[in-house]
Amino acid sequence: MKTNNILFLAQQLYRSCCTLLLLLLLMSGSSCDDFVTVSLPNSQLTGTTVFESSLTANAAIAQVYIQLRDAGILTGLSTGSPSTLALYADETQDYTTGLTLPTYQNALTADNATVASLWNISYSQIYKANSILEGVTNSTALPETTRSQLKGEALFIRALVHFYLGNIYGAVPYVTKTDYEINRHLPRVPLQEVYKAVAQDLEAATFLIAEDYSTPERVRPNKMTVQALLARTYLYMGLNAEASNAASAVLNSSLYVWEPNLDKIFLKNSTTTIWQFAPPSSGRNSYEGGTFIFVSGPPPSTALRNDFIASFELGDQRKTSWTKAVLKGSSTWYHSFKYKQRSTTASSQEYSIVFRLAEQYLIRAEARAKQGDLIGAKEDLNKIRNTAGLSNTTAVTESTLLDEVIKQRRFEFFTEYGHRFFDLKRSGTINAVLSVSKPGWNATDVLWPIPINELNANPNLLPQNLGY
Amino acid sequence: MKNISLIEGKAVLWFVLICILLCTNLILAKKSVIPAAKIKAGLSLRKENLHQVQIKKITGTVTDNQGQLPGVTVFIKGKSVTVITDFDGKYVIDASSTDTLVFSFMGYKTIEVPVNGNTTINMRLQEDATALQEVKVNAGYYSVKESERTGSIARITSKDIERQPVTNVLASMQGRMAGVDIIQDGGTAGGGFQIKIRGRNSIRADGNEPLFVIDGVPYSSESIGSPGTSTAMASQMSPLNSINPADIESIEVLKDADATAIYGSRGANGVVLISTKKGKAGKTKFSISATTGVGTATRFVALMNTDQYLAMRRQGYANDGVPFGATAYDVNGTWDQSRSTNWQKELLGGSALIQNIQASVSGGSSTTNYLLSGNYRTEGTVLPADFRYNKGAVHYSMNHVSDNSKFRIQFGANYTTQDNLQAATDLTLTAKYLAPNAPALYDADGRINWENNTFDNPIATLQGIFCSKTNDLVSNLQLSYQLGGGFEVKTNFGFTDLQQSENRILPSTIYNPAYAVGSDNSVLYMNNTKRKSWIIEPQLRWQRDFGKSSLDVLIGGTKQQQTTERLFQSGIGFTNNSLITNFASATTKNILNSDTFLYRYYAYFGRLNYIYDEKYIVNVTGRKDGSSRFGPGRQFATFGAVGAAWIFSKESFVSENSFLSYGKFRMSYGITGNDQIGDYQFYDTYAATGANYQGITGLQPTRLYNADFGWETNRKLEGAIETGFFKDQIFLTASYYSNRSSDQLVGIPMPATTGFSSLTSNLDATVQNNGFEFTLRTVNFSKGNFNWSTNFTYSASRNTLLSFPGLAGSTSATRYVIGQPLDIAKLYHLTGVNSNSGVYEFEDVTGDGLISIADKQTLVDLSPKFFGGLQNQFQYKNWQLDFLIQFVKKQAYDYISNVPGGTPYNQSTNLTDAWQKVGDQSLHQLNTAGLNSMATVAYNRYAESDAVVTDGSYVRLKNVYLSYDLPLKMLKEVNCKLFVQGQNILTFTPYRGGDPEFRFSGFLPPLRVISGGMTLTF
Repeated sequence: MKTNNILFLAQQLYRSCCTLLLLLLLMSGSSCDDFVTVSLPNSQLTGTTVFESSLTANAAIAQVYIQLRDAGILTGLSTGSPSTLALYADETQDYTTGLTLPTYQNALTADNATVASLWNISYSQIYKANSILEGVTNSTALPETTRSQLKGEALFIRALVHFYLGNIYGAVPYVTKTDYEINRHLPRVPLQEVYKAVAQDLEAATFLIAEDYSTPERVRPNKMTVQALLARTYLYMGLNAEASNAASAVLNSSLYVWEPNLDKIFLKNSTTTIWQFAPPSSGRNSYEGGTFIFVSGPPPSTALRNDFIASFELGDQRKTSWTKAVLKGSSTWYHSFKYKQRSTTASSQEYSIVFRLAEQYLIRAEARAKQGDLIGAKEDLNKIRNTAGLSNTTAVTESTLLDEVIKQRRFEFFTEYGHRFFDLKRSGTINAVLSVSKPGWNATDVLWPIPINELNANPNLLPQNLGY
Repeated sequence: MKNISLIEGKAVLWFVLICILLCTNLILAKKSVIPAAKIKAGLSLRKENLHQVQIKKITGTVTDNQGQLPGVTVFIKGKSVTVITDFDGKYVIDASSTDTLVFSFMGYKTIEVPVNGNTTINMRLQEDATALQEVKVNAGYYSVKESERTGSIARITSKDIERQPVTNVLASMQGRMAGVDIIQDGGTAGGGFQIKIRGRNSIRADGNEPLFVIDGVPYSSESIGSPGTSTAMASQMSPLNSINPADIESIEVLKDADATAIYGSRGANGVVLISTKKGKAGKTKFSISATTGVGTATRFVALMNTDQYLAMRRQGYANDGVPFGATAYDVNGTWDQSRSTNWQKELLGGSALIQNIQASVSGGSSTTNYLLSGNYRTEGTVLPADFRYNKGAVHYSMNHVSDNSKFRIQFGANYTTQDNLQAATDLTLTAKYLAPNAPALYDADGRINWENNTFDNPIATLQGIFCSKTNDLVSNLQLSYQLGGGFEVKTNFGFTDLQQSENRILPSTIYNPAYAVGSDNSVLYMNNTKRKSWIIEPQLRWQRDFGKSSLDVLIGGTKQQQTTERLFQSGIGFTNNSLITNFASATTKNILNSDTFLYRYYAYFGRLNYIYDEKYIVNVTGRKDGSSRFGPGRQFATFGAVGAAWIFSKESFVSENSFLSYGKFRMSYGITGNDQIGDYQFYDTYAATGANYQGITGLQPTRLYNADFGWETNRKLEGAIETGFFKDQIFLTASYYSNRSSDQLVGIPMPATTGFSSLTSNLDATVQNNGFEFTLRTVNFSKGNFNWSTNFTYSASRNTLLSFPGLAGSTSATRYVIGQPLDIAKLYHLTGVNSNSGVYEFEDVTGDGLISIADKQTLVDLSPKFFGGLQNQFQYKNWQLDFLIQFVKKQAYDYISNVPGGTPYNQSTNLTDAWQKVGDQSLHQLNTAGLNSMATVAYNRYAESDAVVTDGSYVRLKNVYLSYDLPLKMLKEVNCKLFVQGQNILTFTPYRGGDPEFRFSGFLPPLRVISGGMTLTF
């Protein structure tokens, strides 16, 4: 009996061991390390792979243009500066009862969603530009021409976004790396330092970026686009000679031909366009069309202010070409009509134009006037006035000429990327002008608040701008 | 690609191995018959024969106080002969005259009767409170007798679940389990829930989900919907809707280290085990149950009427010193100022028709049984539109045990299909904002009224719809074989397949025609998600009794894989709005997201349970885990726990007849983990965005790169005492726990200058949750026809951030304070309204003369202080009444409109006492039409001050159930039960901001549901 019991037990043990072995086999179809090491999904590439081919490196920079077009300060959607800064200054009136009211009433607070989103998206765009700069610099596989073109474009984007950030928020951090250990503690640098850094990046970009457009339709910046922003930056810095020279470089380029027909300036193949955004897909047009145009009153969102419409000089063709009246009963409202397509068309007709030739004339006019070249200034100014159907300017002194420049800028660039707001600030007239037309205006409203979450996340950004 | 085929190859290999395993065992089993038979033949043949000679058929009827008892197990003590009483309580069993019959039925005292030569044995069973202690509790990889468990496990059964008119399993658990805090996110059908077991362990707000396991198969509760499509819901559709509550047998919630450590890296936030119903041996049984009810919104906010509202608006303009604006249609005379509409009633005050039908058939023999059930449910909407939620479910379960009781097979499958059609926009906020004198929704001709372009009619937005179709299969297979010698080998297989397609449809007709938006601007968003997973868990168990002690050892392994595919697309521009659901008709098609996620998991686990003298119990569990969510070198970690129990009521110092019928101390300590961080987070990658620039699809960096992060670890300690008095008529459990989570796996908030909002990393912070849980179960009365019992649960907890190095200089400084709970808010302290300026004033804590964020120093704790439930069950003859009262003590944000009084938004009636003139002592500041920036700034601070936090406690009659068993004299075979049931019936609360149960404000509150129905069983 004992033997039998032992035999029986031994048999059970043997069977258990066999089973255990099988269980282990079952588990070890692959080694456990291999099993839990997963490769990347097919929708992702590692950072280094991206910069091993021109195709993927171009896709990386394309995404920055996409983000510039679709979000942040430069988008033509109602969240971007064309609409927001027009409301904030004295170009448009708010007819909504909602989110844009604080912007229109100059009652922004540090926790305002628009204040935060423009800031956040801008730095996200800058991060991408820096990421491309670093990726391209470390890449050995890309051809030299592609490397320098991409580096040039990335520098340009970095400068462009910082330029706008500085003009809206004042002193801001200037980010040139992707390292979060550095970027999370960055302090703000004064606006003049921001301009200097912008100019430096742009100067470097002029040596990297090609003179000709790298793709059709002027949707990627070229060397002239860099010059155009450089001209504006020098002007804002008060470097008039440099501004004048940079503007001349653009104006002398054979790529651009003056367009006297106001109705053609905002078409996608306009010869005065320096840089524009490609639309999300074929048939789509500029976002601005959808943002500003309305067909019946009262306006569902915003409309041009009555005092703005009333200020057009008699005979200014821009009033008839670039604005449109909507009537209802005894009421009339106007909307910006630079872009005439509010939705899709069979093939795209208008793209959002970020830089156009007219600005370079007005930059040079201002820079020339400030340098005492009144004749040259007049010449440039009249180019704009004549195209608008106006006679030559009667201004003769430097100060009247400068006033005229600011005035022309108002009617030339309304609802374009906050030109009006920046011009009022530059000319020092902002408080005098806006305290009349905007009941909620305070002197401290010249700067937007730094978003509250940013101050919390990085105390080096303190102190907050005055008034918030 | 190569990887995938390799995996498939391996799957085939496993399949072959399993077959070999089974065959080997069967062959071995067959072979072993010969020697075993020989042994028997030699040793005990004579004895066996002796018994066989005297075997007789024994019959009888088993009854209780109320009549015949079907389903009672009758078996011969010490043998494997088992029968079950039929529908009339009758049984037939073969036994010898020296055998002893055992009658056993859950909830009744087990009775042993010697046969003593009788051929008829009728038995009347007595209900037994102590029998609850004999119930086997599911602990996942093993089950344990309630009286012998060392871990903390809460449990509810089908009895409680099927009495509630709910469609989500989490809803059925609310208020019934100690330590389990469940919040319904909103009343929109199909919406999500939040569940927290013993508080918030992880600083990551979305890292606190428990592990859900359905019949042994882990089921991801992570929503597969997209925030881009399910916009009307506070959270996306809960995958847990896929489990039909009526198919659930029991839900066990594992809470402490002893119970959860065997789930290792996924046990930190607790484990919810869901067991579905199985067939029972006996006559074929049909059951059909139909319910019809209505749902209505529970509570609304008290808002101003037209007079109060217009007075506020006029004051606003008067205070700002400006005339009515051109667009101030409500006060400038454009709109009729005599209109008065309660928009909450108008837009959310409807009744949702809810219908449910459940049918099942079950039966089987002593070796094989089955259950097949089907369910169809439809829910309407409280919105003034035609929305609905339909759900159909099929549940199948099959069990078989071989004649020699050695081989067992268990198969279960649940297939659910859901079809949800809801509004794309939740109108709850709109209903609160709208001016009470806003125009009618429809004009005289029944068309949408835009009031000459002055009214953004909210009813038009209901033409924007969200529809979702979900099909979900959860299946499991369990094979086990008794090897003899106490060895048992078992393998679980599981497979889940979830497919969901969600559409958000925004036709151009949702806009005011003044925008002249045509169908070329209509938009269709489509999100398709597929999630599949499989799991294999081979296990070997060895159980043996050695005299007074017994040992139970389990070892096993887990291999699991889950793939998720997601495709999010948009189509813009249709030639006609009737084509809008056809993606091909879209002018512009964009792929916004196309992703595949692969999650793999590999583990070994074990358990050792030792019981000495039925008094002293030690339970050791452990798990070594590997997860693909972590980078090289960080993938593996080990977890484990020790639990011990002492049943002191079995000691000699407790006399047999003592009032103390049961007493147990138990303690446990162990380490579990948390890997809820998402897949691929350790890679430095660029991902395609789907957006297009000149024909190039963009690529962008996905995250700040950090590969060096690992598990969040959670150390749990628990001590508990369980006592039963007077034969367990009073049963009391009290437990104390203290859990600490460290190596917090978080997205550390980053300033925007880093390019991203957060960085995935382990933060060296520690969060502690400690608390006290108390459950009391009493049988208050149990005599004759009347039974009354009570269940009470109470949980009090405290969440504390113990340490957070570098908190002061970090982005989290404004959100957390060391020594305080995670769910606090740092707020301004409102000192009142300045009687001169009429504007809110706040305490200048820093004393710098300015109010800035540094002055947000008033701490408010928003986590629940305590919560629980009181359940009473009454039974009188054929009547049953059951009700549950849920209570929660907490603070909550009051409803505020987020815009200052005087602007064109309706406000809470609180604001009727706004400051008006110098010298006024008011609770609320002056009204402004929006031009007083000082008042606007002050209001924004007010919204972030302690003034908006109020008592959000509530006592709620959560569930009422009343049923009557209709005596059908003609049809004895038929059992007919009529019932009415209700959910969220009454709420008592000091909270004035609407319904106090919410996680995100501004969404439709949970519904009050009242329904009635009938169940037929035959």
